[in-house]
Amino acid sequence: MSAVTSPRRHAGSLAWHLGSLAVLAVVLYPVVWVIGGSFKPNDEIVGSLELFPANPLTDNYRRLADGIADIPVSTFFGNSLFLALGSVVGVLVSCSLAAYAFARIGFAGRSLLFALMIGTLLLPYHVLLIPQYVLFQKLELINTYTTLLLGKYLATDAFFVFLMMQFMRGLPKELDEAARLDGCGHLRIYWSIVLPLCRPALITSAIFTFINAWNDFMGPLIYLNEPDKYTVSLGLKMFVDQDGIANYGSMIAMSLVALLPVLLFFLAFQRYLIDGMATSGLKG
Amino acid sequence: MRTNGTVDRRGLLKVAGGSMAALGLTAAGCGSGSGSGGGDGTVTIRYAWWGSDDRAKRINETIRLFEKKHPKIKVKTDFQPYLDFWKKFNTQASGGNPPDVFQNAIGFLRKYDEKNVLLDLRQQADAGNLRMRGFRAGLEKFGEVDGKLLGVPVGSNSMALVIDRAVFAKAGITPRPGWTWGEFNAAMTKIRDTQGRAGDSGLYGVMYLYDLHLRQHGKAFFTKDGLGFTEADLTDWWTTARAGVRSGIHADPKKVAQIKPKSAVAGELAAAEFTWDNFTIRYTSEGKSQYGLAPIPTTDGKRTGQYLGSLMLSASRRTRHPEEVARFIDFMVHDPEVAKIMGYDRGVPATTAQYEAFTPTDEVNKQIAAYEQQLVDTGVLEPITPHPAGADVAEAAFLRVAEDMAMGKRSVAEAVEQFFTEAKTALGS
Amino acid sequence: MGSTVTQHRTASPGPPAKATAEPPAPPVATTGPRTRRSRRDNLAGYLFMSPWIAGFLLLTAGPMVASLYFAFTDYNLFDAPRWIGLKNFTDMFADPRWRTSVEVTLWYVVIGTPLKLAAALGVALLLNQKRRGQAFYRAAFYAPSLIGASVSVAIVWKAIFSDDAIVDRAQRALFGVDVGGWTGDPDWILYSLVALTVWQFGAPMVIFLAGLKQVPRELYEAAEVDGAGPWRRFWNITLPMISPVLFFNVLLETIHSFQIFGSAYILGGQGGTCGPADATLVYTCYLYVQGFENSRMGFASAMAWMLLLAVGLVTAVLFWSQRRWVHYEEAAR
Repeated sequence: MSAVTSPRRHAGSLAWHLGSLAVLAVVLYPVVWVIGGSFKPNDEIVGSLELFPANPLTDNYRRLADGIADIPVSTFFGNSLFLALGSVVGVLVSCSLAAYAFARIGFAGRSLLFALMIGTLLLPYHVLLIPQYVLFQKLELINTYTTLLLGKYLATDAFFVFLMMQFMRGLPKELDEAARLDGCGHLRIYWSIVLPLCRPALITSAIFTFINAWNDFMGPLIYLNEPDKYTVSLGLKMFVDQDGIANYGSMIAMSLVALLPVLLFFLAFQRYLIDGMATSGLKG
Repeated sequence: MRTNGTVDRRGLLKVAGGSMAALGLTAAGCGSGSGSGGGDGTVTIRYAWWGSDDRAKRINETIRLFEKKHPKIKVKTDFQPYLDFWKKFNTQASGGNPPDVFQNAIGFLRKYDEKNVLLDLRQQADAGNLRMRGFRAGLEKFGEVDGKLLGVPVGSNSMALVIDRAVFAKAGITPRPGWTWGEFNAAMTKIRDTQGRAGDSGLYGVMYLYDLHLRQHGKAFFTKDGLGFTEADLTDWWTTARAGVRSGIHADPKKVAQIKPKSAVAGELAAAEFTWDNFTIRYTSEGKSQYGLAPIPTTDGKRTGQYLGSLMLSASRRTRHPEEVARFIDFMVHDPEVAKIMGYDRGVPATTAQYEAFTPTDEVNKQIAAYEQQLVDTGVLEPITPHPAGADVAEAAFLRVAEDMAMGKRSVAEAVEQFFTEAKTALGS
Repeated sequence: MGSTVTQHRTASPGPPAKATAEPPAPPVATTGPRTRRSRRDNLAGYLFMSPWIAGFLLLTAGPMVASLYFAFTDYNLFDAPRWIGLKNFTDMFADPRWRTSVEVTLWYVVIGTPLKLAAALGVALLLNQKRRGQAFYRAAFYAPSLIGASVSVAIVWKAIFSDDAIVDRAQRALFGVDVGGWTGDPDWILYSLVALTVWQFGAPMVIFLAGLKQVPRELYEAAEVDGAGPWRRFWNITLPMISPVLFFNVLLETIHSFQIFGSAYILGGQGGTCGPADATLVYTCYLYVQGFENSRMGFASAMAWMLLLAVGLVTAVLFWSQRRWVHYEEAAR
């Protein structure tokens, strides 16, 4: 940035920080409450009005070290990590291929396929649960991670196809026209030109996929039958009692710990969001 | 949107037809059963239940014990919180892949029997793989429906009035067995007037309590295939309740909803709450006071209408290993070591062998034991009324509509009508 | 390559003029005989689409068709479905709880979606400036979306919106209204649900940010030379340039709002209840209760397809409208 500073610039900067801080206060208050809650004794959590406990306890965290239901907490994290990373790879590859076809190739039947894809977004998943379960059961895949990953590699997540497609449609057409004149095929254009330029969209999709897979509850609940294979989201629910009454302290503590990998993933990748167009590799 | 005309539409139909065929058109009844047999004669059975990690740790320990004594049987476990458990169970059972043996409750027996999910264990009992003797207080009959043995009780519980002992003491109230509804209401009023909180948390929505009230009048909430009471009965019950909410005898339902899932008693909105005796433990972990159990009020000074309820173990009809499943259930309900591990986690142990093997040492569990012993001693226990299929849905509707009524969102008349409409749909009557 | 971009960008400082129908028209063939080009495009198109097509045929189409069939049957999850024609639909229209769920959902969509999108766009614009601490703010604003649908959110929300808690106190101090807490009150709990949704504006915000990053800086520089103020720059450059992304967010947030389930279910309670007096009985919540708790999967499927029709209609209108306000790059020649 240039070294020139003016009073106007200072005022703008001040206004910007004030605005950001105001948003920050509103947005983070509940987050801070969660953090405070994780240090409260169990009977002070629900209905408590205080942000922080009078006498903070670390019991909620220490209990996690004992594992949940004889299973070390690290098992749940390992399983979730495997699924989340596996999902990211699958979504990035399969969805970007479909998105490229929708955005850049004029093939016959494209409109129909597009309409079908949007149609898959419209049906609430609950009514698909049982037919899908039967399907995976026929494929003898119940109690395997394939049930949770297969769809990711087959671009069933229309959200991401559509998202990437919108970004690809924002890229200048002259790029592929020029590449075509140079004799590049679609695969070459996709790989060397469109993908690098779509990095913001890919990073965004990667972050969302990771978080969705990490937080997914229904899929693991229905398809996984052994506690050793459970994910963090299922492990969290193990603090809930027969009466719907939970060990809230441990649950909140664990949900914060469970947040860390997602936060790290976000922090690691968000910097790629900062410089999209300006520096993203136009080396193709 | 452009479409490419008939060709694509036909293609779509073909595609749809193809995947329909792949699905076998109907989702129901195309499973391959569950469990598996190893080459060396080792059999694996799947066991599922609802509960928290504490229960899971205890059950895991009992399973290790079982596997040591039955080396040819391996047990795979699976557990979730209550609602998630049934969601998963429904999906699995619907797909034909239910667990071999699972935790069950009275409200589901007839429902899943009608849907051919449950195994009649009678044959296994007759074959000597499952002993049905040695149960306390007639509990062996608890899992029977139309002569079929669909569930085996693991522990007993009963409805009770959970009270905040400090508040009751300060108000100078000592509930005694056989106290009447009149005395109960006077006590609640006194608490409201002197203790700065409501007496009761909202008894009008507790289906199991209304059941007791009806039984005191020779009726019951359910018959074998429908409701055992009339619109007029319910109108009386809810009219009294509405007045009680207005006058502050019952806690403000909005406040109760607000602090959920914490209970109104632990949240200091009310001094007492009708619930199952084995849920007392939750109050101690949630609240700061001392909690105790008081008897159910009566109409005639004697009859409470109470019966013992119970969690059960049921087997699924699709299991390929009925004998192993029966042996597993037998072990879990009779083995004294199991009782020492489980304690009162699922209620007071159902068999005498297990009941005698475990003596509670902590205050809460001692109270539960004393409460149930007193029920047996005073001879108030009666046989349970069978629950029709759809009873679970009717119970949920009862609670919800009662809350609507208490919050003033429906008049008593509207609420009664709404409940009967929904209950009839659910019970198919 | 880089020079091509720059040339193109600087050559068209104004907003791209108009958009095409959805999806984009096939590129006009510039080389070779048209038939060979289109045959090659067809082959390439289906090759690129093959994972999606396989996924659709294997995993999606079957269950969708099955659910459509269930919509016309009495299906209790266990016995074979029994054909009953339109009875599920007539039952549905006669059901007062179904009507409640439609009302609740429409309120939720109409209030929640615009607020959430406005928050997301506003904060994204704020964060799109190069300032110190920007990365920190971005991560912080995204944190609520990370906590997501976890159970602890429900506990926090109750804590914030209950009697005498921060929102209640602020409400009394600022407006002199004493509601006595939102989460137990049938008239107010829906707004606490809306607040929960708006609070999680992180996802559309990130998408907006990614879109804003794609707007070439040259456009702003050219506009600044022309003397355009911030408002005009936003209106004439930013908005048209991010309109594909805006369209995406509007469409997807609308669809998701219609299908809202998790937070309503967690916040509203459990076991057949969605909020006190059905106050947060959103559509999918009722669908879930009917399908899984009441074992009426036929009825639930009918509800799902009813929703599909309604949301499909909204989607079609949005797609139709985009030719008026969404600007795709290929039109800018």
